[in-house]
Formats: sequence, structure tokens, C-alpha cells
Amino acid sequence: MSAEPMNPSATRRDWTITMPVALLLLAAALASGMAVPMMIASSLLLSLALQAIIEAIFATSVGILIKQNGRISFGQAGFYGAAAYIAALVVERELASPELAIVLALVIPTALAFVLGLLIVKIPGIAFAMVTLAIGQALYEVAYKWRPVTNGDDGLAFSLPDTVFFLDSDIFLSPASMFIVCWCVFVLILFGYAWLSKSPFGQLTEAIRDNPERAQFIGYSITLPRALIYAFAAFVAACAGVLFSLYNGFVSPSIAHWSFSGAGLIMAIIGGPRLIWGPALGAIVYFWIKEVAGDYSDAWPAFVGAILIAVTLLIPSGFGGLLVSLFDRVRRR
Amino acid sequence: MTGATMEARGITCRFAGFVALDSVDITLRPGSISGLIGPNGAGKSTLINALSGAIAPSAGSVSLDGHDVTRMSIVERKRRGLSRSFQKTNIFPDLTLRTQLAVATRAATVKNMDEVAEGLALTELLDVPARDISYGDQRRLDLALALIGRPKVLLLDEPAAGLTAAESRDLARTIKSLVQRWNVTVLLVEHDMEVVFSICEQLYVLHLGKLLTHGDPQTVRANKDVITAYLGSSADEGGDE
Repeated sequence: MSAEPMNPSATRRDWTITMPVALLLLAAALASGMAVPMMIASSLLLSLALQAIIEAIFATSVGILIKQNGRISFGQAGFYGAAAYIAALVVERELASPELAIVLALVIPTALAFVLGLLIVKIPGIAFAMVTLAIGQALYEVAYKWRPVTNGDDGLAFSLPDTVFFLDSDIFLSPASMFIVCWCVFVLILFGYAWLSKSPFGQLTEAIRDNPERAQFIGYSITLPRALIYAFAAFVAACAGVLFSLYNGFVSPSIAHWSFSGAGLIMAIIGGPRLIWGPALGAIVYFWIKEVAGDYSDAWPAFVGAILIAVTLLIPSGFGGLLVSLFDRVRRR
Repeated sequence: MTGATMEARGITCRFAGFVALDSVDITLRPGSISGLIGPNGAGKSTLINALSGAIAPSAGSVSLDGHDVTRMSIVERKRRGLSRSFQKTNIFPDLTLRTQLAVATRAATVKNMDEVAEGLALTELLDVPARDISYGDQRRLDLALALIGRPKVLLLDEPAAGLTAAESRDLARTIKSLVQRWNVTVLLVEHDMEVVFSICEQLYVLHLGKLLTHGDPQTVRANKDVITAYLGSSADEGGDE
């Protein structure tokens, strides 16, 4: 019997962080984001940065499905769009308070995803991706075709009342303050996701991802944990959708289109979907290419495509995975 | 937990007209080690799959300690104390050994992770991802996952497949020791006759989906039909320990 690992580097322990250190890091992360608007005077830059953060949250929702469930989704934009529309509709039609609108916008897509998840999570591989595409496009069609309610492709504009959650609603409209809101949501989501991933439940979902058959033979039902992850991913997408809706005061069907789901998937793959922060990194890279290359050419998606091919072939673990391996190499010296 | 009786009556498995198992009866006594042998294609793994719930038999029944479990899911059977290992290594390759054994332990009523890891000499590898350990260690990890929770009945599908002769002997000793310590009922599918004859108290011989014979190892080894169908010269070689 051998007691030596075949790959010596494999003995590397995972980084384990105690709760006080985690809370300290969380506070530092929140504080650093709050300091950014003091250092950047340009409203345009802050506006771009906060949009990048919203996309990073969205990409994280795609990454959660890949990391915890081993599943690729082409339909996350459906939940993002659903949340954005629910918030917009409830506020615009004055169906309820804006606070309740936000809660509903988070709860309804999450609950919908949970119920759908119970039905679809056992579907394997490509078939699952196609089902999520169908779900996303169904939600898109609701936004596009249900004109009496959604205004169809004209979109839906709305204005927030003077106060939301006892705060001046201008907070959601000013790039400087909205950057802080988006940053705080982003940081809390990443820390929550990291906690979940390390928790017994997160370990179970990764075991199910690795080998669903064996997971059953050690005594676990595999449907409920996967459905819960699908719902959690939808919740994160919904958070991004609500932030988008609040900041822009306008929603249109394009935000629920499958092409945005595809963009989220590209962001996750570029950044490294097996890392908690990988998809967010990919979103920043994607957003940067879109803004910089977009100034020179309308063909900016070609740059993204080239990078996607390069990453897929050369660094399958994404830019995040590359950074981690470089960091490990430096640390071992 | 102590060993339980497992009985299968008239187990028949048909796949698109092909009869993989034809009215097979077996009885596993509490705390005993039974061997299931036969040539490739005899239906050994199919029988293990039918007993463990991986496939539903076309006919017949399976009972565990007198309770009919034929229609129970894999998870329900596991909760009743039935566990198994696999012919092809069936582990969680991306998880460290510690993580996957901990996940398995959380689903079990008896928390015996340390005991299992120590018993199977996996303690030093606990922080290594399973994909990075040797094949022999992966086979023992597969067995460890099955042993977590001290099952009442353990179905072992060729646990020594791909191991060296020394590793096989070592594994046989380990299985026998764990079974004696925990009084587990074991059904062992194995081609290595040295392993089979050294630890099994009774043998079932399958041939072309039918039960050819069963009995104690000496009786089975002397059976001419068994020698013709399967054992051949290995009957003379095995069981020296």
C-alpha cells in the first residue's frame, strides 16, 4: 500500500480562514469599495465600474451552477430579466411599496428556479443546457410579447419614490452612491458563496457534481441539493437584475435574451468557473474588452471570441486559475 | 450495527430480451462472508446491481433482515444498512479524501471515519485530492466510502481488481479483519481465487446468468461443473491460507 500522493503538489491544503479573519476581510472589502468613489471623480468611470460589478454578480450566478452543480446554463438571463421586470412593474404600476417590489423581485425568480430545478436538475449535460435555454427564452418571450403589461420591445421606464428603505432614492441613481451599493451587494454575495461552498452543504453538492451515482450510494438524494443550488444561482442573478433595474430606471426584453446568458457563460469561462471569484474576474475582463475594443471597432465580440478560444485551449482553468497557479508557484519558492 | 440477513429470491434481469440473470436465489447469513464467482458475463455485477438498487430486477424479490427492499431506492437501502463498492473505482475525484469521507460520514448514523481511514491506511492521504492518489489507494478509498457508517450488509464488486498480488492479499486481510470486528455481512465478487478461498465461508457460482451451485469453498472447489465452467486449474492453486 502506498501512502505517498502521486502528485507532490497535491498535498497543498486548501486555504482555511477562521471566522474572525473572514469578518475582518469582509469589513476590509466593504470599506475599500466605499473608498473608491472618493478616489474617482469621474461619474462616467464610476458608472462603467458599477455596471461591470452588476455583470460580475451575474457571471457569478453562472459560475455557481458550474462549480457546485457541474452544469452549464444558457438561461440565467431569464432570472436576471425576471427580477428586473418584477421590480420595475411593481414600482411603475404602484402595486406595492418599492421595498416589497425588491423583495418580490428576489423571491419570485428564486422560487421559480427552485421548482423548475426539482424537475430539471437530473437532466444531464448538454440536454440540461438546452432546457435552461428554453426556460430563459420563455421568460424573454413573456417580456417581449406580453405588451399590455411589459410594453414589449419599447421597454418599461419607472421612477422610484423619494425614499426606499428609509434612504433617499437618489442613492440608486447617483453613480458614486450606487457604486457603493453594488459593491456591497457584490462583496456580500461572494463571501456568502464562499461560506456556502466550504459548508457541509457545499461539500455535498460538489460531491454530487463529481459523482452523482456514488453520492446516492453513500446515502444522499441528489435532486434537492442540486435544485437548491439552481435556486441560489437564480437568486444571485436576480440580485444583479434588481440592481440593474434600480440604477437604470428602465428595463427592456434584451436583458433577458439568451445572448446575455451566453455572455455570462463566456465571462465565467474566461475568469475560471471553478473559483468563487473567477467568474467575476471574467466579467471585469469581458467588460473591459467591450469598452476598450468597442471604441475602435464594432467587431469587439471577435476579440472576446479570440480570448475565449485561447483560454479554452491554453488555460482551461481561466485567468483566475492561472493567477492561482502562479501564486502557488511563488509561494513554494 | 451488526450483520443482517440478506435474501434474494428468483432474481431475474432481462435487457431487451437478453436474460442476464435467471431466477437466482441467494441467502447471506448475518456476519458471514460469501463469495460470488463465475466467468466474465456470468451476471455477477448485474446481481450486485439488483441487490443494491442500481437496477430494478425484472422479477424476484430482495429482502434485508426480513424487510422487502425490492422497490426501495438506493438511498433507502443505504439507510437500512446496505452498502457497496464498485468494479470500476467509483470515488469523488476532485475532492480530498477528508472531504469525501466527511460527506459520507454526515449521511451515516455511525461516525467511524477515523477508524475506516486508519483501517485502510488512508490517514496520511486525507488532504490529497482523490485524483492524485495511486490506483491501489483509490480502490481502498472506494472501499472506505462503502464502510463509512458500519453497514450491516456490504456488497463488494471486485475490490481487488487491478491490484498486485501483495495488495490483494493485504486487502483480503483488511476486509476479513473489518468484517470480524464489525460483524458485517459481506457478498464478495472477485476473480482472485486466492482472495476468495482465503476469506469466504460460502460460495455462489454463477454461469450464464444462472446459479450453477453454492456451498462451502471445499465443496464448490470439488464440483466438476464448476471446474469445467470456471475454476479450472485455479481450484488447485487457491485457498492455501
